[in-house]
Amino acid sequence: MDTKTINYQEEKKVYYKVLVGLLLLTAVTFIQPHYFMQGSTFLAQMLIAVVKAWLILIYYMHLKGEKLITAMVWFSLFLVTVFFVIVIGIDVPNFQYEAESHITAPQAH
Amino acid sequence: MSHEYVPEIATDRDGNQHEVQGWQDDFYGGKLGFWLFMLTEVMMFGAMFLALAYYNALHPQDFLDASASLNRLLGGTNTVILLVSALTMGLGLLKIRSGDVKGAKLMIWATIILAVAFLVIKGFEWRAEYNHGIFLMHDQLLPESSLPFGQKLFFGLYFSMTGLHGVHIIIGIGLMIWLLKRINAGKVSPEHHILHWNIALYWDIVHLIWVFVFPYYYMIGAGGATGGH
Repeated sequence: MDTKTINYQEEKKVYYKVLVGLLLLTAVTFIQPHYFMQGSTFLAQMLIAVVKAWLILIYYMHLKGEKLITAMVWFSLFLVTVFFVIVIGIDVPNFQYEAESHITAPQAH
Repeated sequence: MSHEYVPEIATDRDGNQHEVQGWQDDFYGGKLGFWLFMLTEVMMFGAMFLALAYYNALHPQDFLDASASLNRLLGGTNTVILLVSALTMGLGLLKIRSGDVKGAKLMIWATIILAVAFLVIKGFEWRAEYNHGIFLMHDQLLPESSLPFGQKLFFGLYFSMTGLHGVHIIIGIGLMIWLLKRINAGKVSPEHHILHWNIALYWDIVHLIWVFVFPYYYMIGAGGATGGH
């Protein structure tokens, strides 16, 4: 990415467009629990957050056109996903230490 | 102490001397290094989110109840403040790249003011929670209190994560003040703006972390008793 030459007016427009997009998504965050996907609020909220994060990464953090850094980001996201799948997808459903655990309710002791 | 660059000279087999390429103008190297640092931030907050998700999976209803009790108005206001501050920081970088140094400095000051506003609001929020007996090692979060166990875990992580995020905001303010000093000293300029670029990246990742912190803590319980969980 060439950082020396810049079309200020053009790039400023992009910044403002992204701002409007992020503000709209923030508004959606607030209305979602009352208007749609009410049966899966957690999923809906995380999906909105992912879209917001994508906008920030691509436009505000200038990942557009950055092949190597984008690959690094994808790799780190893959690693995070692997750990989440192992811990939340496998470990939690098979949790079997209520009796001696410090992370479950005291009445389980 | 002088920071004048002294070129390193390498001599080839024929006795010819060559100036070794310096790293001072290695814009891409500076950017890549900063991205590696930011990935360590992702690891740190990723581990905290993993702990949060783990406890959430074990205590889903307590998490929804605790989330429902947070002040969404203040949290939402802070979300908008950070969002606008990301714009001002980005515009500041655009301005310095286009040669408008004075405009860039104004935008950095605007970002600092927004960052302080974020901290002040967060302070009010924490104080209200403290007054309700909810704070680390205090009243309702003590082991003997009757607050459901999952809610204690939720609030413990809430204060830890929003606190760590707040520390990042404070560091960001310090970095921006340092950046202003470097611009005033002529060390950061339209031709050499990697420091400005990287501090803008830092501010973006602080914003990015909040993009996930806010819905996970404030919004999952907004749907009522079941929260659609």
